Amino acid sequence: MHLRLDALSVLFLCILLPQIVASALAERRGPVTFWVFAAAMVLTLLAGDAFTLIFGFELMSAASWLLVLRGDARPATLYAGIAMFSAACLIPAVFLPASSLAFMLVLLGAGAKAGLAPLHSWLPRAHPAPPAGVSALMSGGMVKVSLYILIRYGFIEFGAAAQPWWGSVLIVAGAASVLIGALRAMLEVELKTMLACSTVEHVGLIAVGLGIALRAKAMGNLDLASLALQGALLCAVAHGLFKPMLFLGAGAVKNATGTTSLDWLGGLMRGMPRLGMLMLVGAAGMAALPLGPGFAPEFLLLHAVIRAAGTGGILARIGFTALLAGLGLSAALALGAVVRLIGIGFLGRPRSLHAAAAEDAKRGTLAGMGLLAVLCVPVALLPGVVLGMLEPVIALLAPNSAPAPLSYAPLSLGILFALTAGAAVLGLRRFAVRGTREVAAWTGGFGSPPAWLPFGDPLTQPSATGFAEPVRRAIARGLLAPKGVDPAEAYLLLPLSKVSLRLTRVAEHIRRSTMRQRLAFVFGALVMFLLALGLGEGG
Amino acid sequence: MVLFFLRLVASLAHIALVFALAPLLLGLVTKLRARLLGRRGPPLLQPYRNLRRLLHKTTLVPDTATDLYPIWPFVSFTAIAVAAMLVPGFCLGLLTSDLSDFITLVGLLALARGAAMLAGLESGFGFGGAAAAREALFSVFAEAALLVVLVSFVLIAHSPTVDGIAAAFRTGHIGISVSLGFALAAMLAVALTETGRIPTDNPSGHLELAMVHEAMLLEYSGRFLLLFEYAAMLRLMVWMCLIGTVFFPFGMARAGEILSWPGGLVLWAGKLGVMAVALSLFEIGTAKMRVFRVPEFLGVAMLLGVLAGVFLFVAARIGA
Repeated sequence: MHLRLDALSVLFLCILLPQIVASALAERRGPVTFWVFAAAMVLTLLAGDAFTLIFGFELMSAASWLLVLRGDARPATLYAGIAMFSAACLIPAVFLPASSLAFMLVLLGAGAKAGLAPLHSWLPRAHPAPPAGVSALMSGGMVKVSLYILIRYGFIEFGAAAQPWWGSVLIVAGAASVLIGALRAMLEVELKTMLACSTVEHVGLIAVGLGIALRAKAMGNLDLASLALQGALLCAVAHGLFKPMLFLGAGAVKNATGTTSLDWLGGLMRGMPRLGMLMLVGAAGMAALPLGPGFAPEFLLLHAVIRAAGTGGILARIGFTALLAGLGLSAALALGAVVRLIGIGFLGRPRSLHAAAAEDAKRGTLAGMGLLAVLCVPVALLPGVVLGMLEPVIALLAPNSAPAPLSYAPLSLGILFALTAGAAVLGLRRFAVRGTREVAAWTGGFGSPPAWLPFGDPLTQPSATGFAEPVRRAIARGLLAPKGVDPAEAYLLLPLSKVSLRLTRVAEHIRRSTMRQRLAFVFGALVMFLLALGLGEGG
Repeated sequence: MVLFFLRLVASLAHIALVFALAPLLLGLVTKLRARLLGRRGPPLLQPYRNLRRLLHKTTLVPDTATDLYPIWPFVSFTAIAVAAMLVPGFCLGLLTSDLSDFITLVGLLALARGAAMLAGLESGFGFGGAAAAREALFSVFAEAALLVVLVSFVLIAHSPTVDGIAAAFRTGHIGISVSLGFALAAMLAVALTETGRIPTDNPSGHLELAMVHEAMLLEYSGRFLLLFEYAAMLRLMVWMCLIGTVFFPFGMARAGEILSWPGGLVLWAGKLGVMAVALSLFEIGTAKMRVFRVPEFLGVAMLLGVLAGVFLFVAARIGA
C-alpha cells in the first residue's frame, strides 16, 4: 500500500474534510460504518498505487451500501448492483495501459458511481435513504471521490494518450445529467430526493467543465482547458460546501416534522428561523445566484462553453451553442427548484400540524451547517483567492497553461449592493410612513377554514406538486419518459431488468428439468461436440 | 486622474438619470398606448405620483407572512438597481464597465426574479403561488434564449461585457448582419417577457387569474410595494438601455470626452422615445397569449438565438 499526496489529492481532501466534520457534528458519533465510510474515502484520495485506490474505493462502496441498507432496503439492491458494475469497470481499467478502452472503462466505472447520465437514476433513490449526515457525505463527498478518479486517470495517468473525443463523450454525458437533474429537481416533491437530483445536475456541470478541458487539452488549446478546469474545480468546491449543508438541513426538517415531503411542510421559517437562514445560504448556492457561492463556478463554466463555441469544427460549434442553451435552461430550472424548496417549505402557512409545531434544529446540526456556511463566504465573495489556491492543481492537470484572472468581481458588486440597499433603507426611513400594521391575509376568495386548522386549509395554498405543474406540462412531457419517469430508468434499467428476468426464467427452467431431459441435454451436447470435432478433423 | 474624475462624473450622471427617468419612461409608454387606443390616458407624471402616494400609505403585513417578508422587496429592488448601474445609457466607459459582464447581468435579473417569486409564495395564498409557478416556467426559456444570444455577441465583439460589445459594434465595421437581426428578435421577445408586457403578461390587467408579475405582489402594500413598483420601472429602463446600447450604439458618448456627452444624451433620449413608441405600437397590435403559448413564443426566441450563432459559424466557414 503506497500513500501519496499531490495537489489534486490535497484539493479533494480539502473538499472532503469540512463535510466529514459537519456530518459528524450532526450525527453525534455516528455508527462505526460511518467512520469506515469516511476513512475509505480519505484512503482513496491518498492512494499512491492502483491497488490502494481500488481497495479504498470498494471499501467506500461497501460501507455506503451498509448505510443505505440500514436506512431503506429497497434502493440498496440497485445501489449494490451499480457499485458492482462500477467495480467491474474500474478494476480492469486501472491495470490496463493508457488507451481509449481504458479511459472508457474508467468513465463508465467512475461515472456510474458519480451519477453521470445515463447511469444516474440510482442516485436520487439511494442518496436520500440513509440518515442526513450520511446522505450529506454521499452527495457532497462520495460523488467527488468518483470524480477525483475520473480526473486522475483522464488527465494524469492516461493524459499522454488523450483524444479529443474523450472530452466530447464526457461533455455529452454531463449535459444530459445537467438537464435531467435540473428538471427532476424541479419536479420531485420529497426534499431529499430533490436535493439528490440537484446533485446529478452539479455532477453534470463538473463533467461538462472537465470534458471541455480534456477536449481542449487534447487539441492543444491550453487557455480554454485551464478556464474550464477552473470552472469545474471551483464547482466541485462550492458543491461540496452547499449540498451537504442542504442535506443536513433536510435531515433536521425530517427530525422536526417527521416528513420531508414538501406538500406537508410550509411556514418552517417561523419555527426554525436559524435553520431557515442557513438553508437560504445553501439555496443561493444551489441556484447559482450572484453573490452566492454557486455563481462564480457557473460564470466560469458558461464562459468556457462560449469560448469553446468560438473554436473547432462547425458541428462542434453548433453543439456548444446548444449546450449553452441547455445550461441556461437548467440554470433557470435550478432557480425554480430553489424557489420551490424555500417558498413552499419555509415560507407561507404550515400545511400540517407537525410543520406548525416544528422546533429549531439541534445544536450539532446547526453547528455543522454553520461551519459549511462560514466556508461558503470566501467562495462566494473571494473566488479569485480560491482560484489562486487552485493554480497548482491546474498546473498539474494542464501543464504550461496560464489561467486567466476571474472577470467576475463579487466584492465590487457587493459594495454596489450594499450602497443601493443602504440608500433604499435610508430613503424609506426618511420619506416614507414608518412602521407596519399586521392584518389578516387575503384568503383569495376561499371560505374561512374549519376550527381544527388554525393555520388555514392547506388545500387553499399552492402546493409543491402544483408549483411544478406548468414546468411538467411544458417541458417534462418532452424530456422525460411517459408518467414523468426518468428516461434512464425507462429506457435502460427497465429493459435490462426485463432481460434479466427472462434469463432467470430460462435458467430456472433448465434447473427444474427432469432426468430424461437432462440425459437428452448431455447426449445432445456430446453429439454436437463429436460433430464439431469430426468436421474440424475432416476439414 | 482627470479621466477617472470624468468617468466618475459620467457614472454618477448615468445613475441619477436612469433612476430619475425610469418612472417617466413608464408614464410615456402608458400615455402613448392610451392615445393610440383613442383614450386620453393618465398624465405623463402619473408614475411619480403613484410612488409618492405609496410613500404615504401604511404598510400592511399579512399575519401569515414570515420574518423574511420585508427582505424580498429590498433584494428584488437592489438587484435591478445594480443592473441599472451596470448597463450603459448615454455613454460608454463608465466606472462599472468592467463589472458589466453579460452573465453577471443575467444573474442579477435571475436574483430579482427569484426574490419576486419568493414574495409571491410568502403569505401562502393561491394567486401568488400560481403566478410564481408561471414565472418559473417563463424564466426557463427566457434565460436560455438570453444566454444563447451571447455566443453571437462574443464571437463578433470578442468581449463578454455589455460595454465591450457596444464599443465593438459602435465602430461600424460589423455592418448589418443576419445574425444580429436574429439576436435582436430573440432579445426583444425576452425583454417583453421579463418586463411583463403584452403578449406574455398584461401590465394593466386586473384579473388575478391572468396576471403574472402583478399577482406575485398582491399581498404587498405601502413602502414595500413602492420598492417592487420602482423595480418594475427600472427593469423596463434596463431592458431599453440594454437593447439600445447593444444594437444601436452609434453616436454614444465616451465618458472620457466631456464634449461628446450632450450629443450622447440627446441620442439616448431619442432612442428611449423611439423604443417607447415601438413598444406601445406593438402592444396595441397584439393580444395577450394563453399561458401555455408563452413557452412556444420563447422557444422560438431561443431557436433564433441558436440560429444567430449558426449563421455566424457558417459565415466564418465560407469566409463571408
